[in-house]
Amino acid sequence: MTSSASKRLFKEYKGLSSDPPEGITAGPVTEDDMFLWEALIQGPEGTPFEGGVFPAELKFPKDYPLAPPKMKFLVDVWHPNVYPNGEVCISILHPPGDDPMHYEQASERWSPIQSVEKILISVMSMLAEPNDESPANVDAARMWREKRDEYERIVRGNVKKSLGL
Amino acid sequence: MELSHDLPDSTDWIDTSLPAFEPLEAALRCEVCKEFYNNPVITSCSHTFCSLCIRRCIGADGKCPACKSACQADKLMPNIAVREVVTKFQEARSKALELARKDKEDSETSVGARKRKVEEAELDEEEPVRQTRARQTRRSARRGETAGTDDAPFVILDSEEEKDGDYLPEGMAKCPICQELMKAHLVFDHVNTCTGEPGDRSTRSRKPSSFPTALQTRPKEPTPPTSRLSGLNYAMLTESALKKKLRDLGIPSTGSKALLIRRHQEWLNIYNSNCDASDAVRKSKRELLRELDEWERTQGGNANTKESYVMKKDFDGQGHAMAHKSQFDDLIANARKRAKAVQKSEPEGKTTREPNQEPQQQPHVDQSTTTQAPHPSTAPPPADAPAARPYEHNESALSTIKAKVDEANRTDSAFPSLSCEKSSSNDRAAKEAEMSEETTLGFQDPFRSPSRKVPMFALPAEPVCDVDSSTAIQ
Repeated sequence: MTSSASKRLFKEYKGLSSDPPEGITAGPVTEDDMFLWEALIQGPEGTPFEGGVFPAELKFPKDYPLAPPKMKFLVDVWHPNVYPNGEVCISILHPPGDDPMHYEQASERWSPIQSVEKILISVMSMLAEPNDESPANVDAARMWREKRDEYERIVRGNVKKSLGL
Repeated sequence: MELSHDLPDSTDWIDTSLPAFEPLEAALRCEVCKEFYNNPVITSCSHTFCSLCIRRCIGADGKCPACKSACQADKLMPNIAVREVVTKFQEARSKALELARKDKEDSETSVGARKRKVEEAELDEEEPVRQTRARQTRRSARRGETAGTDDAPFVILDSEEEKDGDYLPEGMAKCPICQELMKAHLVFDHVNTCTGEPGDRSTRSRKPSSFPTALQTRPKEPTPPTSRLSGLNYAMLTESALKKKLRDLGIPSTGSKALLIRRHQEWLNIYNSNCDASDAVRKSKRELLRELDEWERTQGGNANTKESYVMKKDFDGQGHAMAHKSQFDDLIANARKRAKAVQKSEPEGKTTREPNQEPQQQPHVDQSTTTQAPHPSTAPPPADAPAARPYEHNESALSTIKAKVDEANRTDSAFPSLSCEKSSSNDRAAKEAEMSEETTLGFQDPFRSPSRKVPMFALPAEPVCDVDSSTAIQ
């Protein structure tokens, strides 16, 4: 039994493995369950995240791609747009109807033509350029604005921790 | 899951001599489902999607997925030009891909061969993209004669050629009688009427470049839908009125009102998208109902029960044992009866711990005895019970088991070796009594040690199931 969702996910998986974007690896944890993926994202160069490899998990809804997946880092990521529990708060992961604050452009949000690849690329650029207008982690956002040195020190510490150093 | 690993995809072109076909094919695929456009329709904002995909998207948020402008399902128009292009491209695809792959292989081979055979390599490189099949055959035949070193690549080519001969475009299938190529969902209806003689259509579908479709006669579908269904104002309908509407449409009318609404919407999507199909590929209502049934199983009312994957960590051994307790009890009773009939006295030795308590002993099974029965809840068929463990008086078997039990207790392995089960099957008759006793005890496992996961389903060794704990690491 294959739903259209798992078929599409399989296609995305195939596309990602035969033509992977730089610094990104992603795929289902097991091929028995297309709705749970694991992704590895390299820290973008020229940022305090450089050198790090950040594992994250992606959970897809049964009606994917009508609804977006949920993404959660599996290691500590000190970042204004990542909740302390690792959940990623980024506009591309928000369904179009779900915007009580009206701070996001509709065009930035989830649409069925988005893909895992685009999500992961967006997350990579989010690591490089935090959006502190709607922080998920207020402390990290304030530190990023006011005490950039300390912010970068914590981030580098997390990078080392994620590498097991 | 039935997903094959050779699902056609635009990235198939990347490793061929025609990488430029990758974006071409991507452009011929729907951005929502990533398949080739199926019944493409164009929106009022001039974006094209599969009819079913865009109808589902509009049902979800009423906007075009590409530009987010408001969209209405009744403004969708079939995009006939795209439909024709996609159909023709799909027909040509397998052949073109085969040639492009072969060409790439040939040019790689020739680069390797150049060191040895400069002349020949030059010949190969003359027009690497525009080789014809005849030319390749000639050349490969010649190569086969010339050098033994060159044999290997051509063996590969031949086998690949065979494989590609059986290649079916996505969604297509062959009639088992006349070998005619057609859309997979049409096969069943076709088989009923198939005369067994390959028609001229079959030659056409094998040679994509012959006549234009318009000149071919195609069989008409039995019930071509004529007009699109219109939506209902669900808020104005009571549940029973809605049920009646669904019954009138001939679709299932069970479930809550929310489910009825979702089912009705999906039926509109399926039905109306079929109206956007060309006459030749329009489906019968029966096929549409089958599609609705699939939706029901994956996303509708049955989704939760049928699609839940049982993870090892989620498997409730105790619950399973409780649910099937009566079956287990029957099996136990049977085994005991047989055991008594054959032999009353209990043998001394490791395998029987509590010989005097037979009928009531279920909760008091010795731990090591418990582990001896590897899969109590996986394999409870009574017929197998007598054959499972005839170890009585078999010292070597007993010692093997003891070792395995110790090992199992040490490592708490979820999969106690099956080999003891296998080795035992030799001398079943003599040891029947003993073995049924053990089997009996084995059924206690789920009750006794719920934490010990019994392999209910074959699961991958690397789990999924550590996700929770790994998230907790932070």
